[in-house]
Amino acid sequence: MATIQDRLRIPWNGGAKQIAFDAVLPVFTIPAMLLLASISLWWTIFTFSTVVIFLALISRFFIKNIPHTKFFFVWTLTSLIILYFIFEFVVIPFLEILLEENIALSVLIFGFVMSVYLMKKRSKELSSIAESQRDCKEGDRIESCNICQTKLPSRDHHCLWFDCCIGNHNRCLFISALFFATSALSYSSNLTLTSVCHPFTLYRTILLPDDCSDVYKLFELGLSFVSAVYSLAVAAILLLLFLRELILVSLGITAKEWKKLPLTSKLCLGIFTNRPHSKGFCQNWAEIMCWSGRHSYEQFNQEV
Amino acid sequence: MLRNFVLIIGLVIIIVAVYFPTRHARHYSYIKVENVASEIEWNAPAEPRSKNCSYENLILNNVDIDIRSIYDYREFEAPLKGGEHKPKGCAPLIKTALIVPYRNRATHLEIFLNYMHHFLQNQRIHYQIFIVDQNDTLPFNRAKMLNYGAKVAIEMDYSCLILHDVDLIPINTGNIYGCSKMPRHMSSSLDTFRYNLPYLTLFGGAVAILSSQYKRVNGMSNKFYGWGAEDDDFYRRLIANGIMPCRFSPEVSRYTMLPHMKEMASAERFTVLTQVKEQHKLDGLSSLSDNIVIKPKNLYTHIIAS
Repeated sequence: MATIQDRLRIPWNGGAKQIAFDAVLPVFTIPAMLLLASISLWWTIFTFSTVVIFLALISRFFIKNIPHTKFFFVWTLTSLIILYFIFEFVVIPFLEILLEENIALSVLIFGFVMSVYLMKKRSKELSSIAESQRDCKEGDRIESCNICQTKLPSRDHHCLWFDCCIGNHNRCLFISALFFATSALSYSSNLTLTSVCHPFTLYRTILLPDDCSDVYKLFELGLSFVSAVYSLAVAAILLLLFLRELILVSLGITAKEWKKLPLTSKLCLGIFTNRPHSKGFCQNWAEIMCWSGRHSYEQFNQEV
Repeated sequence: MLRNFVLIIGLVIIIVAVYFPTRHARHYSYIKVENVASEIEWNAPAEPRSKNCSYENLILNNVDIDIRSIYDYREFEAPLKGGEHKPKGCAPLIKTALIVPYRNRATHLEIFLNYMHHFLQNQRIHYQIFIVDQNDTLPFNRAKMLNYGAKVAIEMDYSCLILHDVDLIPINTGNIYGCSKMPRHMSSSLDTFRYNLPYLTLFGGAVAILSSQYKRVNGMSNKFYGWGAEDDDFYRRLIANGIMPCRFSPEVSRYTMLPHMKEMASAERFTVLTQVKEQHKLDGLSSLSDNIVIKPKNLYTHIIAS
């Protein structure tokens, strides 16, 4: 436990600033991972699998011991910044990507950043409202979050990677953030891979990579390649989460309820299970799409 | 107030720097497929009595060739000794010398010759393939080899030169191997560049130029050893002589590059580029030695130079 309490200080404008060790870990891990992975194919496999194992172990440890850790959010942020920098300053100088392709990617990234920003903002607003209701009893759909230490109406789950509680109030933004992240990551990895690898055209329109055997021979090519592989892997995971969110909202159940479902009803996508809070497909979607702060706050009071 | 102003200015500078057009591949102006025929410099038919070959169908009904099939063996008519071929049954209106600088890439050469003889015979043009082999231990001098090839071809009365890399394979049947009125950059849509053009003044890979124009700019510089920048110098020579190069539609300009290691660019290429700037008249076609051997082979004319 002593190591966790160990805090780093960095020199800062107006005195040294305290920085939690767990929060700066990703700032070193991600660049190290990408640099090592760009050496050769075996290094790529080795570093990526090491990082997966490392994340699995450390996330369990953090959730248990430092629940308020910013580790995951910093990981997201660092990944975003590093991937963007590699794209703009390593891949673009190959002079193979058109201006409109670069702008299209930037629009997707901007969509993602705005979604996450608004999502966190809404969550903060709502929890400050809930703050005044501290003594209220927990209704069946009002849950408290032990990470944010707030009570929220219709809370779904706490997203570690965005460091934010997800509920009806910001679920729409959460889904759009997943959508933009998936599109931006897969689009950027396609642009990068078709630049550094040998491409081919599918149906004369879609460009896809087919031969990436030469990428490790030049550092810039290798770095671009591994960043694209990382993007693609993250995009695949986010796509699954995105689809899961779509199903959950359509069904009107929370992530927790979904977990409790037996496997058989999961396979039927939960259509035949008893869902006490579901108001029907359209109503469920309308609820998260048309969320307004006041409306929900009234509902919050009523339910209390 | 001031802080916001500085912030906005900084943001604008960053956005301009990141999205600056020259950091990206470029769109370019090109001659549309339906106007290609009027841009080609046609030769007067050699035998006025016979029927002229027709090229309209070839250009307008162009198709892409499957890239996976470029390694397949193709049947073609055996050319005359020295890799020369004239179509039978009609009088060709195009007479082209295909000049290929080469060193030590036997597998590429084999694929290239097999594919190109088939490809060019399909176009019903009069052509001859010249392979210019650099036979010394110095770094590869692509431009000098092209000069030797051009010199030999011009002496053999070829009015149209196509300067072609051995690793480039045209994949559209409508990519006509004749000269246009202005020198033409043919490989503007290359697969390894995502079928985009890296920069507007790119003039390497495959280029078609009339012999008269090539002589007028005194050919290419002989001073570029190693990879890179000789094509940029060639472009400058054309511009300095008031010759504006052109491109055909990307639809017919599609090429694939045979796989090989990317070569390290020569470190001195930019220094040489500034040095040779004022020497167009002295350095080029006019300053070649006579130190070459010409050997007609079955599929090509072999020029050994040093």
